[in-house]
Amino acid sequence: MKKIASFVLLILVSSMILGGMTNPAQAQTDPYILLKIAKHAQKQLENQINQDSSDKIKQLFKDGAQQIKVLEESLKNNEIDLAKQHFLSAMRIFKEVSQQLSINQSSPAEMTTLKATAEDPSADLLRMQNYVDNLRTIAKKYNTSVDFSEIDDLFVTAKKQIMDRQFDDALQTISKIKQITVDFNNKIREYASQQEQSRAKEYAQKYLEQLDRLIENAKNKGLSEDIIQKLETARENLSSATDPHEIIKQVREIISIKEQFALTKNDRLESRVMQIEKILFTLSNSDKLSQSDLEDAKKTLQTIKHHLSQGEFETANELLRSLATLLEQFQD
Amino acid sequence: MNLELVPAYREESIREDGMLFVRTDGILETMVKAPLILAGLIIVAVVIPLQTSFSSTRTLELVIYSDGSTHVSTQIDVDPLEPDFELDLFGKSIDNFVAVGDAGFLLSEEIVEDKAIIDTLGSSSIVIDYDIHDLISKEGRVWTFSFDSPSDYTLLMPKNSVIVGISGLPNNMEIVDEQTKLDLTSGLSEINYIFGAPINSTTHKPTILDESLFNYVNVVVIVGTIVAAVIGGVLMLKRKQQKSSPSIIQTESISEKQIETKSIDTETIFSFRPEMREDDKEIVKFISNNGGQALESELRKKFLQPRTTMWRAVKRLERLGIIEIDKKDLQNLVKLKKDLEEEK
Repeated sequence: MKKIASFVLLILVSSMILGGMTNPAQAQTDPYILLKIAKHAQKQLENQINQDSSDKIKQLFKDGAQQIKVLEESLKNNEIDLAKQHFLSAMRIFKEVSQQLSINQSSPAEMTTLKATAEDPSADLLRMQNYVDNLRTIAKKYNTSVDFSEIDDLFVTAKKQIMDRQFDDALQTISKIKQITVDFNNKIREYASQQEQSRAKEYAQKYLEQLDRLIENAKNKGLSEDIIQKLETARENLSSATDPHEIIKQVREIISIKEQFALTKNDRLESRVMQIEKILFTLSNSDKLSQSDLEDAKKTLQTIKHHLSQGEFETANELLRSLATLLEQFQD
Repeated sequence: MNLELVPAYREESIREDGMLFVRTDGILETMVKAPLILAGLIIVAVVIPLQTSFSSTRTLELVIYSDGSTHVSTQIDVDPLEPDFELDLFGKSIDNFVAVGDAGFLLSEEIVEDKAIIDTLGSSSIVIDYDIHDLISKEGRVWTFSFDSPSDYTLLMPKNSVIVGISGLPNNMEIVDEQTKLDLTSGLSEINYIFGAPINSTTHKPTILDESLFNYVNVVVIVGTIVAAVIGGVLMLKRKQQKSSPSIIQTESISEKQIETKSIDTETIFSFRPEMREDDKEIVKFISNNGGQALESELRKKFLQPRTTMWRAVKRLERLGIIEIDKKDLQNLVKLKKDLEEEK
């Protein structure tokens, strides 16, 4: 028996160690990328250094170029760790070169970027475009009557104005886009809040189911009447709540009671049950799972819930894992 | 309830092994009681995958815009049993926040400082998108992206940018639509970049040269003649405003009028205050283009200035009598004054 136990122990420990080793192994850097980045920087800075640049800058640049040479050599010799060190050294030097160049040309450069930032609103437009695209997707989801044609026209106008370097006009157009976007956001949130109420109720219903299991289990284990009474009162409050904020408040109250009396042991399993239910719901709307398999999975889930209400967590966990593994195959 | 299993094993083990610390041979069998450890390891092995499956970042993608703002897009697995989820944002200057739950439903959220409380209501996976202005600073022409990431992530650099400094080693790099995309690991990263010479030299510099020529050569001749006319115009406007009762409620038509006349307004301001710094003028132009008012936080984002620098600039403009500062939702609302002569 001890030998078997030791053997199981060994397998468990080995699997944990090996499991922990996989991620760092995947995070290896391709060393030739480093050379590419460093050479980009070198080329760019080389273009900016001229006769007027200070001796310090020229010397620093030479040092950086030297680091790239040895980086290249290290890569040829397959000395990866050394190559990484040379890469970091080269980039440290190039950063200093850039800063020095920046100091030398500080006032005109500062003005250039500041003016460019203040004048050219391309980035602002791109940001708004991404945001509006996001809202468009959500609006479609809710089948809203929000009409995006006007804002699309404004985007076209703003892009043209920027291309023609009419930045003031573009700024005004973007300002209009922002105003319309605020209205859109409000409208979409109105639609969303209507659906949020039904989602909140659905969530509350699921939470009540798991709370019932917890109460049943507490009764089976002979927990004090006081605790059971508190849970049942909280249950009543949650079942009568309809507003999403009220539902959240009541669930928070229940969580607090559970934490107070150390009743959170099976919460992770209950979370997993909810996840599996979601997967089953998704699969039931697709043809990936046959009707009989679907029915079997649902039955298994009911069995798991029964085990949870009886406090048989290990059995429930084993069944849950098997079911999750099975469903994962169909998900892909 | 959850403590029942462990004391039972402990009692049993003590009874069986009276010579717990005496025997040295076979210590593994005596001290390391297999059932206890096995149970412990099974619990650990069972719990680890479950722990990692809740509230963990599945993907994190960052896109840097050319003005130094950053778009954050992340997918996070959350606990479906929890009613809400507290998300740590990567800064306080947040725009365009959108949180979407299972099946693409928009989730309600409340942002307080650098935290967002999202009403997940049973969602097991959420997708978050927002723009942030806190990750990049600029010194001279060197831009610095500084980010302490909780997970591995991808970073898309702006077009025409060249990395000239990097504190760590990227996992991968590729070029996507003329933009450098880096795969970076969790932890603190600092990336310094500049914009390539062709764009700055060919586009912006000549414009500035022209403007500076305009400013220093022609201004002396032209402004002198214009100023008198403008001052007269402003005085007339002021008299008109005093005669007609001023409307307090700001309507769309009024703001449109302000936008239409903004160029005259800013020119008037500049002619009245020739001592104004160039960077302050840019701030005034921006406020004017923004309908005559802007939040101080917006100004910080626009001009990529630290809080104190922008505060000083705003205070400078207030002293000059160009702007006034109001409070809006606990933030400073900077408004162009309607009448310059109110101030000395």
